Amino acid sequence: MGQFMIKRALLMIPTMVAISFVAFLIITLPPGDFVDRIAATAAQDGDRMTDAEISALREAYGLNRPLLVQYADWVWGMVSRGDFGTSFFYSLPVDQLIWDRLGLTSLLSILTLVFIWIVAIPIGIYSAVRKYSLGDYVFTFFGFIGLAVPNFLLALALLYISFRYLGLSVGGLFSPEYIDAPWSLAKFGDLMAHIWIPMIVLGTAGTAAVIRTIRANLLDELHRPYVTTARAKGMPEHRVLAKYPVRHALNPFVSSLNEIFVQIVSGSTIVSVVLGLQTTGPLLLEALKQEDMYLAATLIMFLGFMTVIGTLFSDILLAWLDPRIRRELSGGS
Amino acid sequence: MMTQSWSGIRKAAQGAATLGLMLVSTSALAQQCSEYTQAPMLNDAVANGALPALASRLPQAPLVSDGVNGTGSYGGQMVSHYGGTRIGDFRSYGYEPLVRWSPDGGEVMPNIAESWSVSDDATTYTFNLRPGMKWSDGEDFNAQDIVFWWEHVETNADINPKGPRKMFVVNGEAATVTALDDYTIEFKWSSPNGVFLLDMASPYGQRVVQFAEHYHSQFIKGLNPEGVAQMMEEAGASDYTQWWIGRVGTYGQNAEYYDPARPSIHAWVPTDSPAGKERFTFERNAYYWKVDSDCNQLPYIDVRSFVLSSDPEVALLRVIQGEIDLSPRNVSTPPNRAVFFDNKERGDYRLVTANSCNYNNAQFMTSMSHPDPVKAEVFQNKDFRIGLSLGMDREAVIDAVYLGQGEPYQIGARPESPFYDEDLARQFTEFDPELAAEHLDKILPMGADGMRVGPDGKPFEFTVHINQGFRPDWVDMMQIISANWAELGLKVVLDVHSDEIGQARRADPDREIFLWVGENGCGQFPVVNLERFTNLGGYANWDNWDAWYAKSLDASFEPADGVTPMEPPANVTRMFEIRDEIPLRTADAQTALMDEFNSIAADEFITFGVALPGGGYRSVSNRLQNVPDTLLEGWLYPGPSPVDFATFWIKE
Repeated sequence: MGQFMIKRALLMIPTMVAISFVAFLIITLPPGDFVDRIAATAAQDGDRMTDAEISALREAYGLNRPLLVQYADWVWGMVSRGDFGTSFFYSLPVDQLIWDRLGLTSLLSILTLVFIWIVAIPIGIYSAVRKYSLGDYVFTFFGFIGLAVPNFLLALALLYISFRYLGLSVGGLFSPEYIDAPWSLAKFGDLMAHIWIPMIVLGTAGTAAVIRTIRANLLDELHRPYVTTARAKGMPEHRVLAKYPVRHALNPFVSSLNEIFVQIVSGSTIVSVVLGLQTTGPLLLEALKQEDMYLAATLIMFLGFMTVIGTLFSDILLAWLDPRIRRELSGGS
Repeated sequence: MMTQSWSGIRKAAQGAATLGLMLVSTSALAQQCSEYTQAPMLNDAVANGALPALASRLPQAPLVSDGVNGTGSYGGQMVSHYGGTRIGDFRSYGYEPLVRWSPDGGEVMPNIAESWSVSDDATTYTFNLRPGMKWSDGEDFNAQDIVFWWEHVETNADINPKGPRKMFVVNGEAATVTALDDYTIEFKWSSPNGVFLLDMASPYGQRVVQFAEHYHSQFIKGLNPEGVAQMMEEAGASDYTQWWIGRVGTYGQNAEYYDPARPSIHAWVPTDSPAGKERFTFERNAYYWKVDSDCNQLPYIDVRSFVLSSDPEVALLRVIQGEIDLSPRNVSTPPNRAVFFDNKERGDYRLVTANSCNYNNAQFMTSMSHPDPVKAEVFQNKDFRIGLSLGMDREAVIDAVYLGQGEPYQIGARPESPFYDEDLARQFTEFDPELAAEHLDKILPMGADGMRVGPDGKPFEFTVHINQGFRPDWVDMMQIISANWAELGLKVVLDVHSDEIGQARRADPDREIFLWVGENGCGQFPVVNLERFTNLGGYANWDNWDAWYAKSLDASFEPADGVTPMEPPANVTRMFEIRDEIPLRTADAQTALMDEFNSIAADEFITFGVALPGGGYRSVSNRLQNVPDTLLEGWLYPGPSPVDFATFWIKE
């Protein structure tokens, strides 16, 4: 088991190098560069930058150097002094930008996850146990609607409803008064008042999938001999369910932990853009649109890193949880 | 009150130069104030000595600026929208050059400069500053700051590698900037500069007053080598120019606003760095140098906040909720007018008219240097362009896409401008498919299957490039126009591309018909804007012509790869010549040249357009007072800021 962990950890290094190279390359694929974006934005305001100004700016940003030189420069900065580069657009160090947003992104993702699990797991269990009942059909129906309706559409609809009928201030996670205020109970309350829309929007699609998965897994288990035996021995029904089959049904969730890691830091980009949330998703989207090289490459690399770590973590957790895998890893016996 | 009459008002530099000395003085009322009043929020600071008394904070002769509905009261917060790109968008933030445009855009008026004079031959411009005027940190503002800016920023090769902006360069010669005394600054060339006042009143003129010598000396490598080296090391920067862009910033770069310690002459100054924030505030500048005619120091409003929404839909929701006091331009579009109207009570705002300085919603620029010889032949043929123009149902486009606002128009100055030319602006705007077909038959004969063929007999198609992110209305417009053209047997390909690759598209040598808006067509701006009436500095592919003309001026000019200098028709050469000559002339000579330019442009009919913009509006919160009922929008006239935000006030 220890050997397995070490081997995996070592393999991470070349993976990360490859990811960083690909991330950097991806950013530079679209035609033009950041200075072109500045010129385009200026032109749309009516301010036409001369070619001289554009090339001067390009030199200043170092964007006229060959790509490999820029890549090497960036990697060296990361490795030698932990400098992930500066965002051209914000004129701020990249790590500061990402760090600022990470807190809110994680909070939102964790809340969404909790929402999904709290809603979906009991419903899934109920659906399995009361298969083909009215309740089963009703829940499944709503679940699929949540799955089918696009997230951003749901977000816009909820935004409008909350504006029109509930009179809430919408757009962003805070009301205007609280955006820069220091943390307090009132600010936290304001956050909670706003966060339910993103939570619901992001949660609804997830619940459908979770409900179906739990239902299917549980149904598989409920026909097993050991369940019949437990019942025969007089175990109360809820203990029969909880003790073994439900734990078995939760197996896929552990193995999808790497997904969750990625979700936690990337946030849901489209919904965040629509709702005006200050998460990392819109940050990445904006960086890509602006060709803000270092910010975008760092974010992509970061996401890759989280995926790798998440995969490792979920493999380890699974091995710990599931004795069958443990036996397989230690060579089978 | 506000009028939008452009015509007949020519009190700008052109008139000044021929008249000789022109002194425009500030209102005599300023001298009548024995005592000034300040905002209550400053009283405490003055009482306990943190701020000097008001009399010593104001210049001896402050600028008198009155709101459109008179004196206001102090206090309150104005909330504006910020789209996430350039903070330094002076149209919504603030506009404080040496001289400014009047609210109706008809004349240049004093701002930081109390008065000015222009030599008879327009080679020398002398501006008189205001003795006693201070930066926001209390230090004197004088001519030395302007000299500092010229010597150490604008002409500093480390900061401005390609040299000073062309508005300061006449015939290749950069200006000589001298401080005649502490409060008089002179710009001088050996040839006449007929448009300098126009340029100084434009957003670009603000660079002159953005650098305080006492503060910015520390960032100039030549003046403070060790200090700069240390600051760069702390920031981990290796390149001076790049560090400067991120730390100090020049001309529209956001870093200009990131440093709360940076002295400023605006009405509100940042209290904290706005970098990366969702909402940032600017607070009253206690040293602001304007008063109203009741001797109150401006601005009335204590705080200006900017709220970030990068998504236009979220911005729209915020505006109709009443969170934003003056709606931003990008959501105040004709399609959204109904939403704005419906929510007037809920959002507690009113709508005001916003007239545009643009002369066209869409300018069709055909490539004159297309690599394919067949296409080049067709595009260069005037009958082709006339056919396309006559074949467009402009009324249908105006009704469907622009909600009936505007009128059919070509590429020329707006009707209110003194440079309006009826022929140029209105020719070929009728919808006449038969006449169009006649013109098209001369260059694109009708093929057997009802589609036109090129001069080589092969099926002919051409592409129109549309930047959908910039102007989604072009997509709708082209649906109608393509259908019109299809009926004439023309095959049109629509290249609808996103904003992100717009810049790359416009540099593509294969581009055929490129669309852009027609800007700066009001008042006197056409004079400094002639390139927009031609190829817009490269948006249309005139590369071969441009190269030929550049080479004719300078034999050592090397054309770019793939560009072959080709002599344009004599008329077009004359257009280039006029474009270069106008800035060197004054008043009447400029008018004569513009007339010539207009008639050549009408004859050649190289570019054509769709419609004059109309029906613009903005929403203004009912708490915000002193906002005129008619605003003007534009760029060289940076509307709406010339109406002076410092005169707005909040009524709770």
